Amino acid sequence: MKRIFIVLLGLVVLTACNGFLTEEPKSEMSVDQFFTNPTHAYNAVNILYRSGCTDFYRTGVYSGSRAMLGGYISGLFDNDYKGQEVHVQHCQDLTLNGDNLSAYFDGAWDACYDAISKANFLINNISQTPGLTDLEINNLTAQAKFFRAFNYYYLVKTFGNVPLILEEYSSLENIYVERSPSIQVYFQIVEDLKFAVEQAVEQGGLNDVAMPKNEFRISKGSAATLLADVYLNMGGYPVLENRYANAASITREIISSGNYSLITNGTTNNKSAFNIMRQSDNKDEYMYSIEYNSSISSSYWQPSICYPSEATSWGIFKYSVTNNAYKPTNEFLWIYDDEKDLRIQEKQFFHSSLTYLENEIEITKTFETAPYLWHDDDALFETGKTDKDIVVYRYAEVLLIAAEAIAKTEGVTPEAIGYLADVRSRAYWQTERNVIVDELTGLSEDDFIQQVWTERLREFSLEYKIWSDVQRTRKYPVTRETNKGTVSFVDVVGHTTIWGKLFNEKHLLFPISENERQRNPKLTQNPGY
Amino acid sequence: MKLTIVILFVSLLQVSTKVYSQGTKFNLNIKNKRIVEVLKEIEESSKYRFFYIREQVNVERVVSIKANQATIDDILEELFKRQGINFQVMEDFLILLSPEDITYIKTNNVQMQKSISGTITDEFNQTLPGVTIYIKGTSQGTVSDSNGNYSISNILKNDILVFSFVGMSKQEIVVSGRTKIDIKMIFNAIGIEEVIALGYGVQRKIDVTGSVGMVDANVILERHSFNALQGIQGKIAGVNIFSNSGSPTGSTRVIIRGMNSIETTSDPLYVVDGVVMENFHLLNPNDIEHIEVLKDASSAAIYGSRGANGVILVTTKRGAKNDEVIISYDSYICVGRIRRKMDLLNSEEWLEVIKRGYENAPKYSQYDDGNYPSISFTDPLLFDSNENPLYDTDWQEEATRTAVSHNHQFSIQQGNEKSSTGAFLNYSDNEGIMLNSWLKRVNAKITYDAKPNDWLGFGINMLINKTWENEIEEGSGYQMPRRTMIEFVPVLPVKFPNGNWSNSSSTNNFALEGMANPVHVLTTQERLRNRKQFFGNTFLNIHILPGLELKTQFGIDNQIAEYKEYSPTDLLNISYPNASADIDIFESMYWQEETFLTYNNSTKGQRINAVLGLSWQERTYRFNSLSTSGFSDDFYKYNNIGAANDPDAPTSGFEKWAMNSYFSRINYSLNNKLMATITARIDGSSRFGENNKYGFFPSAGFGWVISNDDFLTNISFLNYLKLRTSYGITGNTELGTYRSLATVSSGTVLLNGERANYSEVSKLPNPDLEWEKTSQFNIGIELSMFQNRVSAELDYYHKLTSDLLLARPIPHSTGFSSVMDNIGSVSNQGVDFLFTIQNIQNSEFNWETTINLNFNKNRIEELGENDEDIFPGPFWVSGSQTILRIGEPLGSFWGYKRLGTWGLDEAEEAAAVGAIPGVAKRSSEREIIGKGVPDLTGSFINRFEFKNFDFIVDIQFSQGAEIMQQFTHSIEDRTGYSNGLSTILYDGWTVTNQNTMVQQIRNAPLNGQNSEVDDHWVVDGSYIRGSLFSLGYTFKEVVLDKIKLNSCRLFANVDNAFVIHSKDFNGYDPEATSWGENQWGQNIFFFQYPKPTTITFGMNVKF
Repeated sequence: MKRIFIVLLGLVVLTACNGFLTEEPKSEMSVDQFFTNPTHAYNAVNILYRSGCTDFYRTGVYSGSRAMLGGYISGLFDNDYKGQEVHVQHCQDLTLNGDNLSAYFDGAWDACYDAISKANFLINNISQTPGLTDLEINNLTAQAKFFRAFNYYYLVKTFGNVPLILEEYSSLENIYVERSPSIQVYFQIVEDLKFAVEQAVEQGGLNDVAMPKNEFRISKGSAATLLADVYLNMGGYPVLENRYANAASITREIISSGNYSLITNGTTNNKSAFNIMRQSDNKDEYMYSIEYNSSISSSYWQPSICYPSEATSWGIFKYSVTNNAYKPTNEFLWIYDDEKDLRIQEKQFFHSSLTYLENEIEITKTFETAPYLWHDDDALFETGKTDKDIVVYRYAEVLLIAAEAIAKTEGVTPEAIGYLADVRSRAYWQTERNVIVDELTGLSEDDFIQQVWTERLREFSLEYKIWSDVQRTRKYPVTRETNKGTVSFVDVVGHTTIWGKLFNEKHLLFPISENERQRNPKLTQNPGY
Repeated sequence: MKLTIVILFVSLLQVSTKVYSQGTKFNLNIKNKRIVEVLKEIEESSKYRFFYIREQVNVERVVSIKANQATIDDILEELFKRQGINFQVMEDFLILLSPEDITYIKTNNVQMQKSISGTITDEFNQTLPGVTIYIKGTSQGTVSDSNGNYSISNILKNDILVFSFVGMSKQEIVVSGRTKIDIKMIFNAIGIEEVIALGYGVQRKIDVTGSVGMVDANVILERHSFNALQGIQGKIAGVNIFSNSGSPTGSTRVIIRGMNSIETTSDPLYVVDGVVMENFHLLNPNDIEHIEVLKDASSAAIYGSRGANGVILVTTKRGAKNDEVIISYDSYICVGRIRRKMDLLNSEEWLEVIKRGYENAPKYSQYDDGNYPSISFTDPLLFDSNENPLYDTDWQEEATRTAVSHNHQFSIQQGNEKSSTGAFLNYSDNEGIMLNSWLKRVNAKITYDAKPNDWLGFGINMLINKTWENEIEEGSGYQMPRRTMIEFVPVLPVKFPNGNWSNSSSTNNFALEGMANPVHVLTTQERLRNRKQFFGNTFLNIHILPGLELKTQFGIDNQIAEYKEYSPTDLLNISYPNASADIDIFESMYWQEETFLTYNNSTKGQRINAVLGLSWQERTYRFNSLSTSGFSDDFYKYNNIGAANDPDAPTSGFEKWAMNSYFSRINYSLNNKLMATITARIDGSSRFGENNKYGFFPSAGFGWVISNDDFLTNISFLNYLKLRTSYGITGNTELGTYRSLATVSSGTVLLNGERANYSEVSKLPNPDLEWEKTSQFNIGIELSMFQNRVSAELDYYHKLTSDLLLARPIPHSTGFSSVMDNIGSVSNQGVDFLFTIQNIQNSEFNWETTINLNFNKNRIEELGENDEDIFPGPFWVSGSQTILRIGEPLGSFWGYKRLGTWGLDEAEEAAAVGAIPGVAKRSSEREIIGKGVPDLTGSFINRFEFKNFDFIVDIQFSQGAEIMQQFTHSIEDRTGYSNGLSTILYDGWTVTNQNTMVQQIRNAPLNGQNSEVDDHWVVDGSYIRGSLFSLGYTFKEVVLDKIKLNSCRLFANVDNAFVIHSKDFNGYDPEATSWGENQWGQNIFFFQYPKPTTITFGMNVKF
């Protein structure tokens, strides 16, 4: 009996543990502990700087970056590895659809909604956070709204109508959301950006300085430039909601603040504005840039896509793979007047040769034209890593938006001409500004606007604006070798690319991933796909 | 002569000679003494007295004898073995020693027994021909004739005759001077007395209603591998073991009766001596006594929520019984070599491919007239003045070696009725065939069992396992040696005459993809894995009432792994120019406490075996990880990562789960005829949602031994027939921790040039999350016929796994990609078949054949809420390589069909899809193009014994799987960046060879490439493997006596001698993955660690 007693006692002791099955994570916080401390709100904003479409500017050596997709579909930019990077091949062949690029478009869609979800959580929960001042709440909310707008803007430009979701999810209720009309999405984007732009600094609003001077946080200028771009695009296809006047007024506000300026050319071509852009991360021209740092967050491959793939065999780079992943076609390069325009000169935006010493013998390699804007001598030849940021919006774009918006609303005024001339004259380094002004003066509205479009192509050739302009204008730039520097704009629908592919209307929007359509049966596909 | 008379007198009184010999036990250790002295010693230490006649018994002979707890019989047997001396122990401890002929006079009144004869019958009095009869310890014997008669001569009085016949119980009969011995052989109804482990106790095999596979140590050790799982590959029906690489660990993956799960692994639960163990593949196979595999619900349901993938129960060796001291030493040395090389281009062929690529260039890109690209081979480092290559390096040869491995197992087992101990020590040093690939293990195990009195038992088992490894990377797609030993171009040497390593930048004659040469990487890169495991358990057994026992046991499995990696500054496209170092430390600590009551009772043909118990388990896991780059030289490595200037943010993590369970099993058996088992387990797991912490897992099984029913007893060829069936539910809890909770993850991001903290909500909660349930129906038949010469076991099963733990896809517009949920279902049905036939069995020659087959069909029945396709990866060129789709098997390959190559006459159609003649012609839509898991696997094993030789031929086969040769992408579809398959040159599209799957040679650096996942990459994965040829020799006792050994066997094996596979397969071995643990990666590989053919020599010795 004693034995049985001992045994029973043992059993009782063993069964007397409470809470044995309770889960208490220690390496992650549970969601109800979130936003209980003021730092949580800052932490929740910080992640937005590296979420969603901000990451679309980081390149892979073979695949290029997501931001390059427009360049690929335009047919004016190529990639040597397109045979393995199917998104490039399908875009160039115009054979893309929601099936063969489903994973690719999932990637874009997912990242944007991920960022939007994080922004929603912050925007809706920040006011309950103990210990935050109203000023802090306003400032952080403004940053979050900028990113929500930035990501919706990418979505609406890429896919057209998309689900407009402004609440964060904490359960599976209401997860199947229909696509909202593009115009509604635009209205929301405008509302968010107006909040970010219109708060006074005293209320916690954003500082009105260039982003690098704002500790690389979104500034008023960043939000205002994005808003100007949004207004400009609303005026075009597909929504055709005329907001050129708003675009003109907001750009004027940026210009008149005097806080932003173009980089000026130095004394030699090596010190041109374009080479400064290549080298410097801290300029008043940068309205919105995405920070990179070799240790913390690297855009590792960016310099290596400045050379063709065979360049690795030269044995001089600290990169083991190179690939001209965003290779401009000749047809694209003919947009530049190769005599007047500094930007097309060797080692400004582009290059096609390299001279180096091997065993004290000078060797020169020539190759098909490749980008030079991302060329980082230190990274390529010394360290194998780059710290260079990538600029999304520059002050030059503010000027060109102003020129176009003013021309649209007020006609080809000297002000509009002046803004275009500011940008062009920096590039036409041997031409007097007034010559340029004279040439532009007297142009019809259409001709002037086409000059703006042309300038946008030339100035932002490596900043991925090309397809956005085609989408909103439905005009496609056509060049001729015999007439370099002159661009004629033809209807994109019905135009045949240099690859022999015919654009039709469906190509002006990208398809929605069939995977997402399976996951959300309420999603319709874009017409034609 | 007086004494002789005394002897005769005594024997006439027919005094029992047995009674007194058993009591006293002796410990003797005598070296080189005369027998007379030995006898004297015995007399001094006991009551025994010896009587003998000096003239008749040679007591001057010098002997050595060592005895431990031996009886007097044992000692005298040893002293006078085959000396013609008989001994009889009489009353009053009197021992008579006499020559044998004298005894014969006394008992049989004949001088010398010459022969013995008799008739052999079975239980039904039918005479039995072909029974083997031999004298124990000799090779002397005979076989019964057609009338069941036998006769055997030259018999000594105390000889033992052994009667054996397939399917019958072996009988040993002491001759005792008889001249006629008739024997009735008894059918050995299989398993009647055999006992098998079932989890929480053992059961007589006949009572088992579930489907259980078994293997013993000797079978596991037939193949001498580091990893016990390789030893059981093909040996158990229904258990599929994929040996996925030629690395020393073999990278095995186990799937029992098909894949059940989508999100969690298919790994079975490993229970070693009652304790759940992780990383079973590192355990020392020499420590294993036997393995049981619980396959169906009736057997596995006792493990409840962790039993759905099957349970592998391992019993390890312990101390000895019966007063023995067994000292054994087992060792082997094996030599491995690459079995087959891939058919690659040599220098001349590769240069031809380059030339043709340049010739074809104008077809693929536009060049100005007269400005066509051209190439000449002018680099003086690589070519002579006639443009002939200086080198023709065979990188497969250079990167591999003849690997020599050896293994030593030393053990001492000892014990008596009260206690026993065992000590086991293993050292294993394994070389892989790739340079600098190695794995060493030291494993020590000690067991102690005690039974101090009739109501208490106690045991302890402790194991320490330490392994060191330099692992060759088997995953990932960058330029690691597994890949570069294929892709590195033959025109480059390993090292240049100046001693510099070559790499792809050594020449600018070509546009090679950046890569370091494989020998350079293998020689200088370190990927060290040091693992320590402390595993042990202890139990207390209390006998409470007759038939009722209580056992409580506590076990732990503590594993610490430290990974250290260093990649030097000069490995191009790996760690050039900044080098990198990593240190990762993982520790898991698992403990379990289980207490259960066992009740056993048998009366009048009824048997009851019942178990009732409870269990507590907890596992904590943590990791710390550091990595850095930015070394200025290769001196410090991971030993001083502070010397590098570009550290990554350090990381760490912690997780913990716990379970609390109650279980019961009742087995009832009637007259060895009918049996039933009911099992139930209640599991509570911390890993599940707040609303669903506890689950219930019942099962029931029923068995009917038809052959024990009266109506079948007259069917003479049928020896045993059992039908059994079961149904039950098991579960799967093996998902990560905290998956039901919404949590916030944190880290740092770049902001203003510094690290800034961030936090984000990373998961949606699911308070209803519960375990995955597998309901399984099993029906099986066990059959034994023709005097048990033929036996078979056949099981059909149908498993339906529902409430799959699935990262259920939800619209990504929610900001989340999925929520962990129970959704969807998967079915598996199949047949396990085990067939054994004793072809020949006699004293000289035995031949046994075993056929083992598993057939499994897997189907996805339901998926997420909208039945959407899921693309689970592995993700590679063209996205997910597999798809989950309703109606299809798990892990179906996803890609295009390659319809051929576009012909010249199809130029227009080709242009419509952006192609030109010479490039691949593919279907317009992706579809399912294969699957990586076979329908049928099996083995065909023949075991021969001839005199002292034994010989094993083990052939394994697999049918119905496909292989996705991802390497086709870079070594056939793409040329110019690297070396490639010879098919490029010999099968590639040309104007005269348009009917081919292989695309035209196109120089990718000049003109790009055309490469997407299509079924040209996919080939039939069926194969037949010469898994093992083993030849052994066991020494005769006569020889052993001379060399003072108890037993000794020498053997030589050839492992993986040949593989017959599809001729389209271009890789090394048709069974592999380069996707590590990825559930869906089976038979998908970019490149492989080649599997060697090995030759092993070894010995097993007992002292």
